[in-house]
Amino acid sequence: MEKVLLRNIGVPASHTLSTYQSRGGYASWRKVVQTLKPEQLIEEVKASGLRGRGGAGFPTGMKWSFVPKDSPKPKYLVCNADESEPGTFKDRLLIEQDPHGLVEGTMIAAFAIQSHTAFIYIRGEMAFGATRLEQAVAEGYQAGLIGKNLFGTGYDLDVIVHRGAGAYICGEETALLSSLEGGRGWPKVKPPFPATHGLFGCPTVVNNVETLATLPWILERGAAAYSAMGTEKSKGTKLFSVSGHIARPGVYELEMGYPFKKFLDEDCGGVPNGKKLKGVIPGGGSMPVLKPEELDKVNLDYESVAAAGSLLGSGGVIVMDETVCMVRAALNLARFFAHESCGQCSPCREGVHWMEKILHRVEHGGAQSGDLDLILNIAGNIAGNTICPFGDAAAWPPGAFIRKYRDEFEAHIAAGKCTVRN
Amino acid sequence: MDPVKFIVDGKEVVTTKGTTVIQAAAEAGVAIPHYCYHPKLSIAGNCRMCMVEIEKMPKLQIACNTQVAEGMSVLTQSPKVVAVRKAVMEFLLINHPVDCPICDQAGECQLQNYYMEHNRQESRQEVGKIHDRKKTIFGPNVVFDGERCIKCTRCVRFCQEITKTNELAVINRGDHSTISLFDNAVLDNPLSANVVDICPVGALTDRDFRFKVRVWYLEKTPSICPGCSTGCNISVEAYQNKIARFKPRQNDSVNGPWICDEGRYSFHELAGGERLTMPLIRQEGGLVPTTWENALQAVLSGLRGSPALAGILSGRNTNEETYLFAKLARQLSSAAALEVFYQERELTETQRILMSPDRSPNFRGARDMGVGSNGGFAGLLEELASNKFSSAYIVGEDLLGADGEKIRSALQQLKFLVVQDTKLTETAKLAHVVLPAAHFGEKEGTYTNRQGRVQKLNAAVICPEGARQDSEIFLRLLDGAGHKLAYSAPSEIFSALTQEVAAYSGLNYDSIGEQGCELGSGGGAAS
Repeated sequence: MEKVLLRNIGVPASHTLSTYQSRGGYASWRKVVQTLKPEQLIEEVKASGLRGRGGAGFPTGMKWSFVPKDSPKPKYLVCNADESEPGTFKDRLLIEQDPHGLVEGTMIAAFAIQSHTAFIYIRGEMAFGATRLEQAVAEGYQAGLIGKNLFGTGYDLDVIVHRGAGAYICGEETALLSSLEGGRGWPKVKPPFPATHGLFGCPTVVNNVETLATLPWILERGAAAYSAMGTEKSKGTKLFSVSGHIARPGVYELEMGYPFKKFLDEDCGGVPNGKKLKGVIPGGGSMPVLKPEELDKVNLDYESVAAAGSLLGSGGVIVMDETVCMVRAALNLARFFAHESCGQCSPCREGVHWMEKILHRVEHGGAQSGDLDLILNIAGNIAGNTICPFGDAAAWPPGAFIRKYRDEFEAHIAAGKCTVRN
Repeated sequence: MDPVKFIVDGKEVVTTKGTTVIQAAAEAGVAIPHYCYHPKLSIAGNCRMCMVEIEKMPKLQIACNTQVAEGMSVLTQSPKVVAVRKAVMEFLLINHPVDCPICDQAGECQLQNYYMEHNRQESRQEVGKIHDRKKTIFGPNVVFDGERCIKCTRCVRFCQEITKTNELAVINRGDHSTISLFDNAVLDNPLSANVVDICPVGALTDRDFRFKVRVWYLEKTPSICPGCSTGCNISVEAYQNKIARFKPRQNDSVNGPWICDEGRYSFHELAGGERLTMPLIRQEGGLVPTTWENALQAVLSGLRGSPALAGILSGRNTNEETYLFAKLARQLSSAAALEVFYQERELTETQRILMSPDRSPNFRGARDMGVGSNGGFAGLLEELASNKFSSAYIVGEDLLGADGEKIRSALQQLKFLVVQDTKLTETAKLAHVVLPAAHFGEKEGTYTNRQGRVQKLNAAVICPEGARQDSEIFLRLLDGAGHKLAYSAPSEIFSALTQEVAAYSGLNYDSIGEQGCELGSGGGAAS
């Protein structure tokens, strides 16, 4: 398979403008600004079948087309580089090793909605990545690729790198916008949606790093070349960041629809040290865990993973071998979500930490027989009832862990302590 | 405004486009429970209590942020809705201290009310509650209990959107989120105590009122704030014949749902202190108690035929009292100059949201009743100070304020001075006769605010034995002066004045209602 996203990774000085341009970089950008109308660009990306890589998988061209063309307000393109989903580190690789690819993709998307200001909102902890992006943007301005009257066409575009202050919730697009506006990183109540009322109340599109970094290739090679890869509904390639009990962890680019089991066993070298696989989270910490026996039929595309009862999400694959205590794993994730809940709406604010506290006593002693059903009930009361998808993200993992490894949870309660690690 | 037809709980309702489900349901008589929603504030959507089921939508929707659409069918009592309300109530209570017996909000707490309506289950939370700051002073009038707070952010939004003073903010995350003063601010804006009224739980309480009375013992009387001529609608809430607090009473033509802090606490000065309960008369050596009979006789003989009588009313006298006083003064002296107390001060932008520069709620009404002189109140005071009058009748105001010495010596030189007031003020101490009167909270009648809206005062407490209503005193004096009137009740006086005062012609006392009516609107209660 030809690499779309990782094509420049591993090339010496891949982060510099000269290297990027020597490999054909910014040719797509020049072509877009000089030869395409925004509608043509949107049609091309629609035709490619590209779907949002932030986790939700919404068709990218469609998202752009929701921006009103006749709005008198300025329009904004915002790149969501606040990658912080547990087990997910694919965007970071692109940002650090191929920053110009992201800048070029960001600008192509900005052109599609005729925005003249694009923001790249980068997670505060990614200090190195932010520096790389700032350097890339500075190089771009110097080379006349960013700024006023680009290529003599009269089109202006500024790109601004903005560092977040370290909150997982700011990866949620409307919380990101609140934060970018200078406010508390709280998700906004929808409707209205960002396409019409986004940043500073203006029409806004928020796209993920991986989504944007795909665009230069699509414009260079054509929508057909992209949509030739993948499955019927999940086109192209996708990055997977693999961590945990796996022989070769790292970031992989796969054609959509690649068999999950084959990927883990062959590409990633399987579970090391002769241990057995106990569970895999396929799409980042907020997605339901899958048991080994569920993997056989699963392919890595949106539809297949969903059919197995989980979600492809961010592509953050977390592998757990037989030494892992599933109660502790669930507790660990619950602790993360309790810490990161923004506290805005009642079910998530109160319920997520409550689940963590109950899980804590299941793992450490003091639990009661009704605790598991109580957690499932709380999770059910949170999911679907919150302002933003964080509530679902926090509610799904404990539910999945308990349903799939109930015996292990019950054993903990009966023993009054951890039965796996002791 | 395009009409939209939609269905709530099977009932077809017509409303206007752009209306939210929570508003439209309320119009149709269906109350949807809520905490964070407030009709005068922006939509926060955070409490999740107002979730309803909408046909063809897979997830429940918050009624506060969903606009009605043609043909939309909304269920507010379906099993899913009932279940989510129960769940939300549980979430709001798991870290709540449930300290109702020592909470001042008890009895008017939406956690208590909705728990009874929507939850009614035992706690399933056994793993320890989050603790937060207790009795934290936010400002001169407001105290905060973080553990009782449900983070609805009404108070934060009030300070952002209504006063634009931004004293409050949410800090920290998750279930450690809490309300805090922002950047060392103090919650001391002129409308600060409204946050207590809009707080649906016991998190923000009123430093002045708390722990004074359990709210279910309060007797509530709709009335008008005596603070200034804005005429904010209030509920005077009393316990054992004492005013315990003012609460705003919503009137969108006047004050919306708010009142200012100055008005809110004005009853302490106006209704507090030691009351006069017997008429006093000057004898050698000072003022001594006397009977009403003797006192009124003394007033009549002291003022009748006065060559230059100054009549000064309080800005808190009602239209009815003012009307009678004008009659009385003219009956007593052909050379009577009448005025109503009026002084202005500078207001800040935030004060101007509600407050008027005066402290005379019925200034306009008094003018309408013919109480007014060429030079205005300041002019009359100047004339008084330069000894232009032989006698004076001063009602309900202490004129010996900051610049009082000139007035004191002028009053001392008067041939005859009558002071009618609730307390023995410095002015009253100079009088020949002092008549004990009732205060604003003890009387019924009407005020006309600065916009020309006639609004009704009602007696919230009973005036002490021995003191009399101003109108009764004026009527008895009129009678003694040979001008007996055939009426005495405020409603009767009002109907008499509508015959004489052109601007009030056609108004009907009973139809003023609790929301008042505008002059020139031909009577009838306005919206």
